[in-house]
Amino acid sequence: MFKNYILIALRNLMRNKTYSLINIGGLALGMAVFVFANVLAQYERNHDIFFEKSDRIYTLGSVFSPTANIGVKGTDGIYTTMAPLLKADLPDIEAIARTVQREYLLTMGDRNFYQGIKFVDKSLLKIFDFDYLAGNNTALDDPSGIILTESLAKKFFPGQNAIGQVLSLDHKNDLRVTAVIRDIPKNSHFISSLIINEPLEAIAPLKALNKIADYDLAGNWNNLSMGNSTYVLLPAHLDRQWLEQQANDVFERHASESIKKFTTHLVSRKIEGMNLVLWEVTGMPVLESMVVLGFLVLIIAGLNYTNLATAQALGRAKEVGLRKTMGANMGQLLTQFLVESVATAFLAMLVALAILEILIPIFNDSLGKILTLDYLTLLPSLFGLTLLVGLIAGSYPAYIITRVRPVDALKESLSRGSKGSMVRSIMIGAQFVFSVFMMAMVAVVFFQNEKVKESSEIFPKSQIVTLERLGVEDLLARNETLKQEISAISGIEWVTFSSQVPFDQSNSAFAASKNSGDFAGKIIINQIIVEYDFLKTYNIPLLSGRDFSRDIANDLQKEDSEVLNVIVNELALKKLGLPTYKDAINKVFHEVAENPKEGRILKSFVIVGVMADQNFLGLHNSVKPLIFQVNPKYYQTASIRIMGLNFTQTMAKIEAVWKKVNPDYPIQVQFLDALFEDVFKIYKSMNIALAGFAVMALTLAFIGLFGLAAFMAAGRTKEIGIRKVMGAETYQIVTLLIWQFSRPVLWALVVALPMSYFASDAYLNFFAERIKLPIILIAGSGLIAVMLSWVIVSAHAYRVSSRKPIHALRYE
Amino acid sequence: MLKLNNLCKVYQTEEVETTALDNINIDIEKGEFVAIMGPSGCGKSTLLNIIGMLDSPTSGEYHFLGDEIAHANEKQLANIRKKNIGFIFQSFNLIEELTVFENVELALLYNDVPSKERKERVTRVLDKVGIAHRAKHMPSQLSGGQQQRVAVARALVAEPAMILADEPTGNLDRAQGEEVMDMLKKLNEEGSTIIMVTHSPSHADYARRTINLFDGQVVTEMYRAAE
Repeated sequence: MFKNYILIALRNLMRNKTYSLINIGGLALGMAVFVFANVLAQYERNHDIFFEKSDRIYTLGSVFSPTANIGVKGTDGIYTTMAPLLKADLPDIEAIARTVQREYLLTMGDRNFYQGIKFVDKSLLKIFDFDYLAGNNTALDDPSGIILTESLAKKFFPGQNAIGQVLSLDHKNDLRVTAVIRDIPKNSHFISSLIINEPLEAIAPLKALNKIADYDLAGNWNNLSMGNSTYVLLPAHLDRQWLEQQANDVFERHASESIKKFTTHLVSRKIEGMNLVLWEVTGMPVLESMVVLGFLVLIIAGLNYTNLATAQALGRAKEVGLRKTMGANMGQLLTQFLVESVATAFLAMLVALAILEILIPIFNDSLGKILTLDYLTLLPSLFGLTLLVGLIAGSYPAYIITRVRPVDALKESLSRGSKGSMVRSIMIGAQFVFSVFMMAMVAVVFFQNEKVKESSEIFPKSQIVTLERLGVEDLLARNETLKQEISAISGIEWVTFSSQVPFDQSNSAFAASKNSGDFAGKIIINQIIVEYDFLKTYNIPLLSGRDFSRDIANDLQKEDSEVLNVIVNELALKKLGLPTYKDAINKVFHEVAENPKEGRILKSFVIVGVMADQNFLGLHNSVKPLIFQVNPKYYQTASIRIMGLNFTQTMAKIEAVWKKVNPDYPIQVQFLDALFEDVFKIYKSMNIALAGFAVMALTLAFIGLFGLAAFMAAGRTKEIGIRKVMGAETYQIVTLLIWQFSRPVLWALVVALPMSYFASDAYLNFFAERIKLPIILIAGSGLIAVMLSWVIVSAHAYRVSSRKPIHALRYE
Repeated sequence: MLKLNNLCKVYQTEEVETTALDNINIDIEKGEFVAIMGPSGCGKSTLLNIIGMLDSPTSGEYHFLGDEIAHANEKQLANIRKKNIGFIFQSFNLIEELTVFENVELALLYNDVPSKERKERVTRVLDKVGIAHRAKHMPSQLSGGQQQRVAVARALVAEPAMILADEPTGNLDRAQGEEVMDMLKKLNEEGSTIIMVTHSPSHADYARRTINLFDGQVVTEMYRAAE
């Protein structure tokens, strides 16, 4: 019997080729998206499990008090003093190791590279069993030892044995290579693209950092830096809860009240979750959203299938009537239809897997991941998913069709279209709700991105090249020479220095008040350290007052001076309660502090110029109160504005000048355009991902509509025939059908449009400068959906209604 | 009224070629009542469908009111059809979702008759076939005879020059059948040209002329003297 069912199922699939193609294709798309979302989530959630002791490795992180006002919920590390305390208080811990990420200029011979190094307690090598190509896990016993990965060793010492070679840090300290390890596998949080740090390529002992930068080995209660994790190895009989409990006890005993006000408690995480810690602490449910979106797409695909299968099944009422007359009972018929839908689901799954096998390698290549479809472990869930989709999606059509009374079915006088059309209209409507919603969101996100891009044009970013990493004593001392030499190159308009350039996502701020010592009335002002020609270089207009001048002593900050001339923006004036720009010149405001430290001078600022409010950080940041001040000690970046012509030649000359002035440091060129794109790409990729899901949803919805239109039109063939015989013209028939199909789509709009409006509002609130036309975009998406659905339906309606009426009237 | 010259209809499937109509030559004058008879599969319905412009011949000529229309396109045919021809089918072919009134009104709707005139004409014709009291009912609430009367009303309402009936009594019992035939006869007497396909010799007797088809060919034509 079962064989008979499968045979009939396959025969039916073969007979209605278009229908089967639509059905299998739609389901396959949905399944592919769903499986991919889940496999990717699974992959991201299971990093580092290749380490031998991974099931016993944990990290400790801090949770911030909501009143700490940090913007994130916590961080992935703990105070550096905690590790020694934990080690002393908890003898059961097998090993504990701190890590500190730093970047240094590494030199060997005449070659220089900036390189991130992880400085660690040497016990880290007991926790993680790195794959040693040379040396072993005693490599960090030497306080000036360093471990390199294979590819880094090749970069520094091509064709040579790296062991024993010496690298110089910032031209001051030497480290000796004591081990070379195989590159860390891609599915490790040490090199994952989701982690804030540079990928792990070099490991050195914390003792070295102590020597180089006077790092406090006993630790302190001051610093919590993202990415500087503390790892703990527990014996097999102790678990995560135990560690969390004990660590919090230790924290309670040793932390001061003011620390506890800031950091409420500690959490421990298993090592495999560390890959996602950034999303966890920033509260961005990225993976969860992806899984939910994938599920939604699967639901749309399932609805699609149900819808089409129902329409098609009603066409088989006669077959069912006959089977019933022959003695088939309800259960047998249900089984038959369910077997058919499960068979379809299985075919769809095969197609989905084929799609994934093609797409995953491309995805891996472009994002540096090593995702695989591990069929051995996936098989049960794939099988279950297929069965579930087949059964759930197939149950409604099976129920509808087997309910038909044999007499009615045999007579077939019932018009097929009307049966269960309510449910089907709702299903079509639901698909369109999702699709229109997603389309509207894509449009809003896209145009908001364009807006962000457009508002970034206030700075001449395509003309500006920056030279970075100037904040080193050696280099700061040579800045004047560098400026003079570069300015002499033809084609250079301006050269200036600053602590940061537009789109640098960093805030340096201080408390200030209109009245001296009025800490209660303070506001927070962002400051940017600039040089004399900064405003000219960046086209920043002054509303009143003057630019900084070399001839006025108080324009330049001096250690012992209490007064400093500054340029402020309009918002700062407003927040400080000072008069508007026309009358603000020479007005004074003051730096304030809660408990001023002995010997620290609180500055008074004299306003010499007022600039328009400009979004210096760009992107989603709001415009902040801002001052510019001149202080050569804090320059980080040189900005060079180049006249259009001979760009490559000019760049070559700049590099030559750098080599001459700073032969001991490599030049770090960054185009301002590229810096902007760097930050902007986060938004872009978000839009691309969203667009991907939207295209899926919309495609599925239209596949559904296409199929349904075909069936409904076929079901009403006779009626159309009669109308034609009565003299109806093709266009009249097309209009009639279009109107009927428009109804579920229009209802979908009623739900989708307000939904999109609220969602886009929430999204746009994230930005300082917002697009003003979300309503037009949302309405446009709705319109597009309606138009496309009309095109699809008219195509069908036209085909049906332009045939000779006799085809419609002839009995089956 | 119409003239068929060497008309042929061939149905072609992948394997076989079936000749449904083979060299048909028929002249039908205005005001005639013609019955087409013959065994199942002889091509009666095909002939009627071609006369009614629901289908096109494979070859041959079809002159309708002097125009050659054998090769006219669907749009032109639709136009001639809605102005000149009314149809009555064996299975009534009423639209289930529309009321009796709306079903009859349909023919006028597609002929761009203004709403007020439509109402009058539909009421008049429903009255004429004796079904006016059922105007608001749905077709499924009527008996077969009543449904066919609605179909007759629908065929009449646009006042076509010619009425084509495909076994109009095929789905009706004897009494109901007689009723419909009487109605057709009366219409003919009022001047309508009627062409009817039937299996029933007694119903064929209502017609003045009977064309017998066999295997797609006209085998006999018989005229009955006026009573």
